[in-house]
Amino acid sequence: MKITNQIKDTTIIITLDGELDASSSVMLDEALSDPEIMTYSKILVDCKDLNYISSAGLGVFISHLQRFEDAHIKLIFYNMQDKVRNVFEILGLDLLMTIVSDYEEAMTIADE
Amino acid sequence: MLYRTNAKSLFITSALISWSLLLANVLLAAESMHRESSIALDLPFVNNFLIVVFIISVFGFQRLSAENLKGIDFIGYLWNIFAKGGIAAYLSIALYMVYRMVTNYSSVQSPLLLHMVYQLNFGLMVLFLAKAFYVWRQLILYHKNKFIQIAWDWYEILLFATLILTLLNFNYSSLIFLPLLGLIGLYTLFLCTNLKWVAYLTFNKKGRSLILLVAILLACYIFFDFFYGFADSPLLVIDYSDVGFLLLAMFFVALYTLASFLVALFSLPTSSVFEQKSEDLLNFQRLSQSIQQGQSEKQVYDMLFESTVKASDASAAWLEIFRGEKKDEIELCHQLTIEEEQIKRIRHLLLAYNIQHIDYINNNLDRNPGFRDLTLPWKSLIILPIKSKKHLFGVLYLLKDIEQGFDRETVNVLRTFTNQTILTIENLRLVHESLQNERYKEELKIASVVQDSLIPKKFPSDSWFEISTYAKAAKEVGGDFYDFLQLSESRIAIIIGDVSGKGISAAFHMAQMKGIFHGLMQQDMPPSEFMKQANSALSRCLEKTSFITSALYIIDYRMKGFMFARAGHCHTLYYNSMMDDTFYFQTDGLGLGIIRDKSYNNHVREMYYDYNPTDVMVIYTDGIVEARSPTNEEYGEDRLRYMLTQTYHLEAEDIKYAIINDLEDFTGPTENIYDDQTLLVIKFKPTQPSE
Repeated sequence: MKITNQIKDTTIIITLDGELDASSSVMLDEALSDPEIMTYSKILVDCKDLNYISSAGLGVFISHLQRFEDAHIKLIFYNMQDKVRNVFEILGLDLLMTIVSDYEEAMTIADE
Repeated sequence: MLYRTNAKSLFITSALISWSLLLANVLLAAESMHRESSIALDLPFVNNFLIVVFIISVFGFQRLSAENLKGIDFIGYLWNIFAKGGIAAYLSIALYMVYRMVTNYSSVQSPLLLHMVYQLNFGLMVLFLAKAFYVWRQLILYHKNKFIQIAWDWYEILLFATLILTLLNFNYSSLIFLPLLGLIGLYTLFLCTNLKWVAYLTFNKKGRSLILLVAILLACYIFFDFFYGFADSPLLVIDYSDVGFLLLAMFFVALYTLASFLVALFSLPTSSVFEQKSEDLLNFQRLSQSIQQGQSEKQVYDMLFESTVKASDASAAWLEIFRGEKKDEIELCHQLTIEEEQIKRIRHLLLAYNIQHIDYINNNLDRNPGFRDLTLPWKSLIILPIKSKKHLFGVLYLLKDIEQGFDRETVNVLRTFTNQTILTIENLRLVHESLQNERYKEELKIASVVQDSLIPKKFPSDSWFEISTYAKAAKEVGGDFYDFLQLSESRIAIIIGDVSGKGISAAFHMAQMKGIFHGLMQQDMPPSEFMKQANSALSRCLEKTSFITSALYIIDYRMKGFMFARAGHCHTLYYNSMMDDTFYFQTDGLGLGIIRDKSYNNHVREMYYDYNPTDVMVIYTDGIVEARSPTNEEYGEDRLRYMLTQTYHLEAEDIKYAIINDLEDFTGPTENIYDDQTLLVIKFKPTQPSE
């Protein structure tokens, strides 16, 4: 699992590369817990190279969801592979989180 | 043993008899010589035979009674020679003195008395020689190798062979035998170089052994002098100095005693080094064995401190041990002739130099201005950190009141000590940890048994449907669960769930969920209501990153239908026999514990479905569809569905086995599965004729 950050103005793009399992979700939790992340208005998560997400990985996003919502920070996933998207959908997270097809769409939503 | 005792008593008897006969014979000869009768009774062969028998008997007896070397109590052996053999010499001198006094006093020449004394002294000397001979043999063969053993055996044979000369009444001093004697002498000299035992004597013991060796040498001299003095004496009818064996044995005993004496004397100055080395060795051994003996870390540090202070002959020392997580707690666990105030000052200075936890040797403290200002009474300092690659256990400080106090040799020994200590401490901790792990494993086993008891093994056997279940946890305890509750005669509630995460925490949440299920369903509520209430209950107790997916089915046999709600759980796979079709129920529903307020209520849907006889419902957890093949592909919903289309006509039990077998084919033979797997197959039966 590789997690990389890219900053564009008030947007932070987090790129996930690999499998988000129990051990790597700790890294993700650390990245999302960074106080600095609250200074951005949008968090874009690039899931193009995310091959697998475990329940622990989902748990990390879920645990931060409320915090971002309260701070009016938008959390948007894009470029998600079908099988990963399926996991989100089965759990019902697609109705709670914003999942879009590509970067452009993500940026337009983010700019609303 | 019996043979030994018998042989011993035989030797004693034959020695006594031969000696008595010899005495009688000698006295007889002396008497006849005294009377100067014409018929001089000369029986050299009889005498020689008796001498040989006596010598062999005494030597044989000593050979048998010589014990094997036990330990390194060499002083005991020397004392043995002196007490049992050496005393004989002083006894013989006393005898001779008494004889001289008697003859001087009465001024009567008594050849009989002289012969008696001479004969007694002969017996005593043979006794002494035999004793010494076999004790020296033991010492020569100390730490023996095969070569020395063989060399000694031949030497013994050769020496006894010289008895034949005596038997045949040859004169050993004749020219023919001189080279032979010389060779035996050289042989003896060679054997006398085997003095390994001397090295094992400590300084004190060497001192004591020197005294004993001198006493033994003196005994040799007394005997030699006595018999040499009487050699070829016209007063005597017999001359034991003619027995070559005795001379050779005397030569050997005296030479070995002398060699031992000289070696012990000259090794006196170096014995302290040897002592120190052997003590170091013993201490290493003690350190490395402390694990088996179940010693604590403190005892290991005690040993380290004691050993290093001794090994370096330090005049002051202290040992600091780090405790606590952050290594900031320093415990001063040993102190030797140094004040706490001085330690504090030295530590301050080292901190200033930033060298407090590294290997550091200063053999001339006065040259360093910092140390000079402390006005310490010591001149050398060595700091030895006790640390492994990732762990600093403590620091050892040794001080000496002389310059150049810690030479390379000492430092090496000290380092070996600290290394051994590190090894021992780490091993001690490993042993401790593995014991702890063993306990955890044991407790996990118990948890596993407890959890197993939470999952129902038997569903009510009903004529309305058949059910078959499969559950396999990835670890000892898992987060998957299923359960049922008979709501009324015709209605049963079946629940399946999956707690996010694995292991103990998941197992706890699973038990919680089971409690919620049984608690809430007592009130018989529709599945969607159950999900709402369960979410509300879980919101208060679930960890922030945890959530639970679940699906609840209430089957009503009388209505031939079931009601269900899905909370983020895998879609239910279904085979409809009327339409001959397999499909997944695509319903919405958010997992439990994701939204922890009332708004969850909008995220759960309920569905009602009428079933037909021979319809099949497959309920499972994500461990099934997300199972991986060796090429890292997922089993997937499609393959599962395909399996059902192939097997729906079978009984529930067989459908389950077909799916599990296919799954195992897919994942291949693996010991560790990635996620808990649970599978329930329900097949509705046609109405019984009796109903």
